[in-house]
Amino acid sequence: MKTASELLRTEGLTKRFRGLVANDSIDFTLKAGELRCVIGPNGAGKTTLISMISGHQQPSNGAIWFQGQNITKLSIIERARRGISRKFQTPTLFDNLSAYENVELAVLRTGCPPRKRRSRILEVLDLVRLVDLADTTASTLSHGQRQWLEVGLLLANDAILLLLDEPTAGMTVEETASTGRLIRRLGQELGLSAIIIEHDINFIRNLQAPVTVLHLGRVLVEGSFHDIEHDEQVRSVYLGDQ
Amino acid sequence: MKQRTLKHRSLLGTTPGDLLFSEPGAALIVFAILALLPVFFSGYMIYILPQYMLFGVLAMSLGLLWGFAGLVSFGQAGFFALGAYTMGLSMKSGGGIIDPAYLGLLLSLVVGGILAAAVGYFLFSAGVRGTYFVLVTLALSIMLEQIAVSQSQITGGWNGMFIDRMSLNLGPFGKISLFDDAPMYYVILPAVAIIYVILYTITVTRFGKILNGIRENEDRLISLGFNASLYKTGVFAISGAVACFAGALYGTHANFVAPSLAGVLFSTEVVVWVAIGGRGSLLGVLLGGILVASFSNYLSAITPEYWQLVLGLLFVAVLLYFRGGVAGAVAQLVNARRAK
Repeated sequence: MKTASELLRTEGLTKRFRGLVANDSIDFTLKAGELRCVIGPNGAGKTTLISMISGHQQPSNGAIWFQGQNITKLSIIERARRGISRKFQTPTLFDNLSAYENVELAVLRTGCPPRKRRSRILEVLDLVRLVDLADTTASTLSHGQRQWLEVGLLLANDAILLLLDEPTAGMTVEETASTGRLIRRLGQELGLSAIIIEHDINFIRNLQAPVTVLHLGRVLVEGSFHDIEHDEQVRSVYLGDQ
Repeated sequence: MKQRTLKHRSLLGTTPGDLLFSEPGAALIVFAILALLPVFFSGYMIYILPQYMLFGVLAMSLGLLWGFAGLVSFGQAGFFALGAYTMGLSMKSGGGIIDPAYLGLLLSLVVGGILAAAVGYFLFSAGVRGTYFVLVTLALSIMLEQIAVSQSQITGGWNGMFIDRMSLNLGPFGKISLFDDAPMYYVILPAVAIIYVILYTITVTRFGKILNGIRENEDRLISLGFNASLYKTGVFAISGAVACFAGALYGTHANFVAPSLAGVLFSTEVVVWVAIGGRGSLLGVLLGGILVASFSNYLSAITPEYWQLVLGLLFVAVLLYFRGGVAGAVAQLVNARRAK
């Protein structure tokens, strides 16, 4: 499934909030089927970066290219329809609907024919390990399960590029490990791409994906986790002696 | 992949097989009872009940908006009055090649739908939500009331407009007079039932499910690629058309319309009916409209000074103790019974 073709590219992406420069001329490239971790201290501009890619914020300068097309001016809706789907830092679900109904809503946006809808919903719920909780109201799921359900919404929505903002926040060690396996599976088996913002260094180490380190709104360094963890600059501004 | 049996919740939280305890089953019983009433009763009750049923339709128009899309509108009374005036003007015009009553009913659907679609399009495209939407719909109601007052050469101003009772025109087969109350009852009852079925069907279709998504989390729905503004405009247009159509039938049944029908007081009453009936259920909302309007009428006769206070207290009590209204409380009981 993996191809080496470019999926996403940002050119000089900049976001200013009055005097504050949250992202400063970021050039970032992601290949189709690639998983990429984005790390950095609080305030480095990680969430702002994916907000601009998802369309939740408009850049002050720069351009975003997705599948060879300039999407900088497109709305959230148009980007989602092209396959860019975002998971928020705090699970953002349809709280009073069941897990099944949550995923159903995401499927309804796709071209899935009605007769195949149910099997598609169950397939996605199975993928995120929630098929036994299909009838459970989303608000009563555990925090980790809610995180998975939100990932399920993205999958059911036929996403090509997943923007995952802290997908393991608030999870137990076991849930974090399961999430890591799920994300690897999405890349390896389904050929999906993902940009993953995380603070859990063990999770990033185990994911074995390339890492981009942001600091003060700029790309500090990019490379494998091995390279990153031995980089003096990264150790100085973020990792410390971990 | 695991194969499992999943429940599909109806509005009363039941499975489709258990019709008796489902909303469509309960609706069937309610409409059967309403159909039998003229057999056992006559006089004022059979005269006034169609008006309350039309109030029930008005309540359903808000129930669809509020209960399913999370949009509270204080403008429904404006659409209702617009429908009554449309019917009145159509009856006055004579209708031309079309029967004036049918023209009035058709125009009420078109006028209500187009006005609501136009207002909804501009509001939702501009990102108007929540309290701001409530305020704009309230203003819409006030504007329609003021137009009815100011255009007195057309509407009769504060004096109102008299509207003839419609007849059932069967073309080459002649006309059936609806001057008596029982025939009119049997014209309005099926109309109410058909509107209920249409609105209920809407709530269980793809469109209805997307409305639920808007009510639950509009931002999440937009992030999934849905054009929420378009769906909100659509449901507001349907709601406006239904309220306007009910108003047209009301006008010809009551033989009269006045500007106060579009007023803030009546708009607020509609919100109270829906809250008490239970906005999550169209049947609950319909019954809320019928029963609470009847109760208000009764109260206003026995205590003209305080009936609004009593109604207000009832509204507050429901909001405090039965947030899902009576239908919500019934649904909880049914679910508890099924869980045993």
